[in-house]
Amino acid sequence: MVCEGLVHVYLRGTPFESVALRGVDLAVRRGECLGLVGPTGSGKSTLVQHFNGLLRPTEGRVVVDGVEVRPGSPAVRDVRRKVGLLFQYPEHQLFEATVFDDVAFGPRNLGLDPEEVAERVRESLGWVGLDPDRFGPRSPFSLSGGEMRRVAIAGVLAMRPQVLVLDEPTAGLDPAGRREILGRIRELHRKARLTVVLISHSMDDVARLCQRVVVLHQGRVFLDAPVREAFAQADRLRSIGLDVPRATDVLLRLRAAGLPVRCDRLTVEEACEEIVRVLQGGQGWSSSGA
Amino acid sequence: MELLRSLTIGQYVPRASPVHRLDPRTKILATTLLLVVVFLARDFRGLGLFGVFVAGVVALSQVPAGFVLRGLRPVWFLLLLTLVLQVFFGGGSGGTVLWKLGPLVATREGLVQGLFVTARLVLLVVSTSLLTYTTSPVELADGMERLLAPFRRVGVPAHELAMMMTIALRFIPTLVEETEKIMKAQMARGANLDTGGPLRRARALVPILVPLFVSAFRRAEELALAMEARGYRGGEGRTRMKQLRYRGQDTVAGVVVVLASLLVLWVGRT
Repeated sequence: MVCEGLVHVYLRGTPFESVALRGVDLAVRRGECLGLVGPTGSGKSTLVQHFNGLLRPTEGRVVVDGVEVRPGSPAVRDVRRKVGLLFQYPEHQLFEATVFDDVAFGPRNLGLDPEEVAERVRESLGWVGLDPDRFGPRSPFSLSGGEMRRVAIAGVLAMRPQVLVLDEPTAGLDPAGRREILGRIRELHRKARLTVVLISHSMDDVARLCQRVVVLHQGRVFLDAPVREAFAQADRLRSIGLDVPRATDVLLRLRAAGLPVRCDRLTVEEACEEIVRVLQGGQGWSSSGA
Repeated sequence: MELLRSLTIGQYVPRASPVHRLDPRTKILATTLLLVVVFLARDFRGLGLFGVFVAGVVALSQVPAGFVLRGLRPVWFLLLLTLVLQVFFGGGSGGTVLWKLGPLVATREGLVQGLFVTARLVLLVVSTSLLTYTTSPVELADGMERLLAPFRRVGVPAHELAMMMTIALRFIPTLVEETEKIMKAQMARGANLDTGGPLRRARALVPILVPLFVSAFRRAEELALAMEARGYRGGEGRTRMKQLRYRGQDTVAGVVVVLASLLVLWVGRT
């Protein structure tokens, strides 16, 4: 999936005109998990809506699997099947009387026969960890927030996309709900071999899940690097109001305090190991520094 | 998607023009007067003069002319229908025949009549939308409330009406945005919104309307709670931060509008 020189202007030619994207070049590779981060209003949500032809580029183009995406062209239906897009607060799009019917909405739009639809619904609910027999007949409006969100994710998975784009999938959930969703996404990436694009404000989530980070700032690509390299540039990230994962932050502070730790560790586990390694191997620090 | 965004009727365009600075009451009354005048004008000279006046106000308001014309887009079908109906049926029988198709006869009188009625509608839409382009919803509601205040004695709930209007206007863009988002979300799940017969299309609306209503009710509840939390108990004894005050410019504007109206009516007399 490739974007070339993507520019998007909202409400062009009116007093409310605003430029959301100012020339974005980006390639998403098959099978990777890409983290898309950036301050509020940096154009993340606008960018991903080009991935499946919901928005028309003002300039530039988007190519998915060698086919250019143009809203209105017949190829768009194909692209929408390949690229599953999950909006922020996706539980607000639920509408059917039962969970089963809601998840079945996508497959039914594809014109599949009832057995195939049922099969896909069971499979998708299984992916998000909801028992189809128990949850299928319930009303989506009787579920908890986290469960509703998982139903919405299942609704997109039922299209059997190759690429899954998630716009802040953990916003507004409690810690247990967050862990659940993130675990499911990791599983979809590893086991179902989905390409994942994750928009998030949580650097910890990005560090845990993604291999590569793209930072958007004021409608441009500010940084595009593997996670470790990206989060090694703490100062650059902080200059645009972003941050690094908490574990990296702790290491950076230790280093500033004189402990010679490496700072390209991203998770709490990695940071622990690193601190233990330095403390055990580098006895000189505690004796001379005291 | 762009279709929803092109809905410009009733949108405020913030500018620092003399028209924007007028008291909302002046603008509401002036617009009402202009509405009456546009229906009283009986020939093209009157309408032309009216058009010149409205164009002058548009120029003075600094609202881009293209934007004003775009406000006509939602009603173009109505305009076209009016024109066609008038061309065929507006001239009455016995006019000069221009063109014939079976029982349909287009007359010269009908054409003139059609153009006249269409021009009248265009001016009607432009002059009323000018009010909402230059007056923020809050000002508008304030002005309405004050204008309706004298009628409170005969049971008109002025404050409640104004509050309802403010809230309704405030939530139009929010709901439009929400609709757009839900449409996109359902399209991402393969929903087909613009093909098929009328029945299919009506059915395709269900996945959009249900979430929209759910979220509208949720918003209403949240808003009610937020208003109560800030001590709102209706209009009784409520003071305001920005008091409306008539100033010299309002007198000038009022006089200009009245003179223009009289001129339009005088040109069209006979």
